[in-house]
Amino acid sequence: MSTLAFVLLYGVSYGLLLCIISVGLVVTMGLMRVVNLAHGAFAAIGGYLAMGLLTPLGVPFGLAIVLAVVAVAAFSVVIERLLYVHLYGASELDQVLLTVGINFIVVAGLTLAFGPNVLPTRLPASLATSVDLGFRSFETYRLLVLGVGVVVIGALWLVFERTALGARLRAAVDNRSMTQAIGIDVSRLFSIAFALGSGLAALGGALGAPLLPLEPLYPFKYLVLVLVIVALSGFGNIRATLLVAVFVGIVDTAGRYFLPDSGSFTLYVLLIVLIVWRPDGLLARRARR
Amino acid sequence: MKRRQQVVTTLALISLAAIVPAALAPVHAQEVLKVGIIGQFTGPFAVSGEQYKQGLDSYLAQNGAMASGRKLELVYRDTGGPNPAQAKRLAEELLVRDKVSILGGLYLSPEAAAAAPAVNETKTPALLFNAASPSLMPASPFFVRMGQNISVPARLGAEWARSLGKARGYSVVGDYTPGHDTEAAFAEAFSAGGGQVVGKDRVPLNTVDFAPYAERIANADPDVLEVFIPPGAAAVSFIKALAARGLTQKILIIGQGEAEDSDLHLFDDSVIGFHSIIYYSSTVDSPENNAFKATLQQKFGAKVLPSTFTLGAYDALTLVHRMLEAQQDKGFDGKTAIESLRGFSWKSPRGPVTIDPATRELVQNFYIRRVEQKDGRLQNVVIKTLEGVKPPGVK
Repeated sequence: MSTLAFVLLYGVSYGLLLCIISVGLVVTMGLMRVVNLAHGAFAAIGGYLAMGLLTPLGVPFGLAIVLAVVAVAAFSVVIERLLYVHLYGASELDQVLLTVGINFIVVAGLTLAFGPNVLPTRLPASLATSVDLGFRSFETYRLLVLGVGVVVIGALWLVFERTALGARLRAAVDNRSMTQAIGIDVSRLFSIAFALGSGLAALGGALGAPLLPLEPLYPFKYLVLVLVIVALSGFGNIRATLLVAVFVGIVDTAGRYFLPDSGSFTLYVLLIVLIVWRPDGLLARRARR
Repeated sequence: MKRRQQVVTTLALISLAAIVPAALAPVHAQEVLKVGIIGQFTGPFAVSGEQYKQGLDSYLAQNGAMASGRKLELVYRDTGGPNPAQAKRLAEELLVRDKVSILGGLYLSPEAAAAAPAVNETKTPALLFNAASPSLMPASPFFVRMGQNISVPARLGAEWARSLGKARGYSVVGDYTPGHDTEAAFAEAFSAGGGQVVGKDRVPLNTVDFAPYAERIANADPDVLEVFIPPGAAAVSFIKALAARGLTQKILIIGQGEAEDSDLHLFDDSVIGFHSIIYYSSTVDSPENNAFKATLQQKFGAKVLPSTFTLGAYDALTLVHRMLEAQQDKGFDGKTAIESLRGFSWKSPRGPVTIDPATRELVQNFYIRRVEQKDGRLQNVVIKTLEGVKPPGVK
């Protein structure tokens, strides 16, 4: 019982954090058909910004994260207009070359500015505690991750499913040229979606810093995890992303708990099985075939 | 047109004639001895490479680049991350093309092991700044340890824990050779001392969330935990996870280099109470260590602290001097150089050190330390010094 509670609590909180980071890439990839391998770089920049505001400048934790998210979202629009516009319709090789190149630049830039070490992250005292849930104690910080994750993903789902903007985004994911033909400004949609995706990545990078330590190699280090989730989610499907990310979190946590020596492989076994079974993503609509 | 070409050619010839003797002259005046340094200067462990450089530069700043009539030239090569194949290639390149006389550096044990064939073939002394696997010394008669044999701190940890009455031991190690060595040495010494090993975990090096391991340890209810995790992100995350599960305050945790003085600023207060057993503490109060720290901080900033990596590199140049002194006015010979190191003793910043003649392992002090909040910052406080510890095989 307590083991089950552990696996669920820790697996879900870990999974939700991965979901926040990955969901932005799921949306932009679905919409723009650009394999943005530099997605993690935006998460890293967000994390570094937030921690830079938090520790030396003494900005409160919540405000530091919000400021970092807004800054990265704004910055990403500039990058999108300058660089990513050239990738729409370009070959996958071009996309990979450019976005991996951006990763290298960010890694080198972070090393230059902050040195090769991990960036020290100090949680505010109120979060560095544990709460008693009745059946076991649980880290306050992880509880915060759970809460933020549920709220953010819920809000995103509402925007996507229940607003006009969401309807336009979904339309553009499904059929870009038809969306354009009925007079929707798809390139503006791209910018909005890109800002949203990068902002979410920054949120994950900043909020997740205590769990996924910030270091110059961050953009590459967590790329595999993010791509696993993206591959299993399929294009632009937020519900699938949530499901997959939580599943990945639970499988990884359970794998490491029950089979500590080979636990890191369980995730990849799962990936292989699911990709073979559902190559278009876990909840892909089959009617389109 | 043709005349102009002639003029240019003549000018070029004249300038060449002027340059060539100037370039040749210093070579005749003093013999250069090249020392190849292989390290991870970029990538996830770039900190180790940075500290190698700081240690070498500090030594040169104190003693100059001249050694027994020869001028030392350091040739740096970067493996770019944990990469034994690249280390092997760079070692071959340095030995064959750059003709280095001495090799140094080599961060991880698999990298040192990969360089062994080239070192043996060319009979070149190789000073291992850090690599600590027990299996390395038998792999090459030209290896000399600048750090430690990893089984030593694991054994000392087990013995110390037993002397404190700890009965239930648990080990968590990185899943690569030195980790396996640590696990085995701890289990052997802890059981031999009458303790019971209640669990051993090998952590894959790509682990992100360490909470499952902390949970496993907590459920096994040990009273001492032996830890060997690579420094940097993994060590920070692991110690955080232990603290979040309340283990740091509850049980005795003994690590090695996870929270060195130079890395302590990366941690939050969760690291308080973490113990380590290690062969160097930057707090050692000796003339050698104080001079070493003073030079380091003068060159690289007042906040910079030395680690075992900085120290290994620094001490390696002491051995380079020793090797050259032993064969002054002769061509450099690797075999003679190694012979001159057998049984050599010197005063290192870490304390007195002797190279064991048979195993080329170091007989040196080990320091048992605990992280405490002191003078407004985190510090490793030495709680016990174990003097002249002999590695396995040393008589």
